[in-house]
Amino acid sequence: MNTYVCRYCRQPSDPSAPTCPLCGAPVDIRDVVSDSGWIEQPPIRDMTKIQFGQSHCQIAGTLVPVAEFTLAPPDMVYFSHHVLLWTDPQAQLGNMSLRGGWKRMMAGMPLIMVEGRGPGHIALSDNHAGEIIALPLQRGQQMWVREHRFLCATGNIRYDWEATNIWYDTGEDSQHQDIHYPMGQYGDIFTASDQHGLVLLHSPGNTFIRDLRQGESLLIQPSALLYRDVSVRAHMHLEFPRNMGFAFWHSRWSYHKIWVRLTGPGRVAVQSVYQPPEDSEAIRNSSYTTVYRW
Amino acid sequence: MTCGAPLDVRDKVSDSGWREAPRLRDMTEFRFSASTCQVEGELVPVAEINLSPQDGIFFEHHVLLWKDESVPLSSLKTAGGMKRTLGGMPHIVTVANGPGRVAFSKDAPGELVVLPLHPGMELDCREHAFLLASHSIQYSFIRIKGLANVLHGGSGMFMDRFVTGQYPGLLVLHGNGNVLERMLRPGEKILVEPGGFLYKDSTVQMQAVQMPLRTGLMRHSMYLAEMTGPGRVGIQSMYVHHHASD
Repeated sequence: MNTYVCRYCRQPSDPSAPTCPLCGAPVDIRDVVSDSGWIEQPPIRDMTKIQFGQSHCQIAGTLVPVAEFTLAPPDMVYFSHHVLLWTDPQAQLGNMSLRGGWKRMMAGMPLIMVEGRGPGHIALSDNHAGEIIALPLQRGQQMWVREHRFLCATGNIRYDWEATNIWYDTGEDSQHQDIHYPMGQYGDIFTASDQHGLVLLHSPGNTFIRDLRQGESLLIQPSALLYRDVSVRAHMHLEFPRNMGFAFWHSRWSYHKIWVRLTGPGRVAVQSVYQPPEDSEAIRNSSYTTVYRW
Repeated sequence: MTCGAPLDVRDKVSDSGWREAPRLRDMTEFRFSASTCQVEGELVPVAEINLSPQDGIFFEHHVLLWKDESVPLSSLKTAGGMKRTLGGMPHIVTVANGPGRVAFSKDAPGELVVLPLHPGMELDCREHAFLLASHSIQYSFIRIKGLANVLHGGSGMFMDRFVTGQYPGLLVLHGNGNVLERMLRPGEKILVEPGGFLYKDSTVQMQAVQMPLRTGLMRHSMYLAEMTGPGRVGIQSMYVHHHASD
């Protein structure tokens, strides 16, 4: 009986292989864990193959890696057309419509996914220096992923999206209000409903994973969150530093730090490249938020 | 002339035949003509050239990182100035002559692709991708034929063309992200996102083809660059998609 579980994708795996056949993570390395408990996700080695269905995906490159799919006839992957790098002429590409087109467009999310079917080769890459993260999902498993981090998924993975419910608005009055979504307006939810499947993400920079115990919480930069188990709850947290001095003070402005508080149980992953929320005017209204004034 | 590629590593070739450009090791040094080029750094590498008195190189002025004060700069007159400007290409190409040191880098993580050109070779590369070329190389540009290219091709209306006459030359490109190369057989075709195209032998035909896909709210058509062999094709893994605004 196979009792080895890959420490990165958390799926039963093969300890004798040089890399996990499901997520491509190297098997023959020591865990790199920070004192606070963050596990560094090792990059997938150049030319590593990840098996799914009768097809496989090969990761080429280490700076901005490419996911090159060798698709067998029954297998399908879907992706946003922005990430298509090259394809064989014989691979079949088609549109996959998504519900909620208007809302998706307003939120800057892709309106239409592209389906790629075998036989043939299709290669995908994002446009940030970083790592490809493979998330194999067992039947019934779900994963929340921050918007725009999705690279592709196999055809047996269901793709939904939901509002992040992390927002605040600023402005002098209701006529001039400006709504901000520090973690994006929507998050992607991937579900392996009937059978297991594979989701690939592109993570700018390095990637770190942490397991939160029941009730354990931490504060992170909103745009650094890469993925989380759906059991992990998230809400906005505001910190107001004390005594910032007159140079930082203006009646219209409010010096604050915006965080997302994640509360376990479950796994969370962060990327080391992120975009801090812009300095903003005083917050007038927000989603559920906890506040701490120093 | 050498290219600085490490000789003690295996070729990294994907199942479909794409070969990774060899990553030049930090501080690798190689010769061209009577000069040397040293590659420094691995994330955003710098090409540092030690020019001998009889040698010169040309480049787009915005890639110049530093130079010795004594290195003279001049401009290389390029044909088709207005067309070049309209095509988003540099109107003036700068020349540095030896003796002295001059260094170049781009502003994105990526790889340097060192392409020694033998006499009688022709190579095309996407605009703004070339870092430097030795003075023995003739520099021109070509228009990508076809209205579809003009309207939809992410690689723009023009490509740089580098030609060697009776002398060899050195061409150094900067590819964003990782660089992969594939040799196409005669008649073999491959479809490449135009933003990912980096270079090709001039024998490789390139044209925009419409895919049976609609993208964005306005249901734009999607175009890819169809490359037909024989010859080499180089691509970069980090690019701005030509439909990125959708």
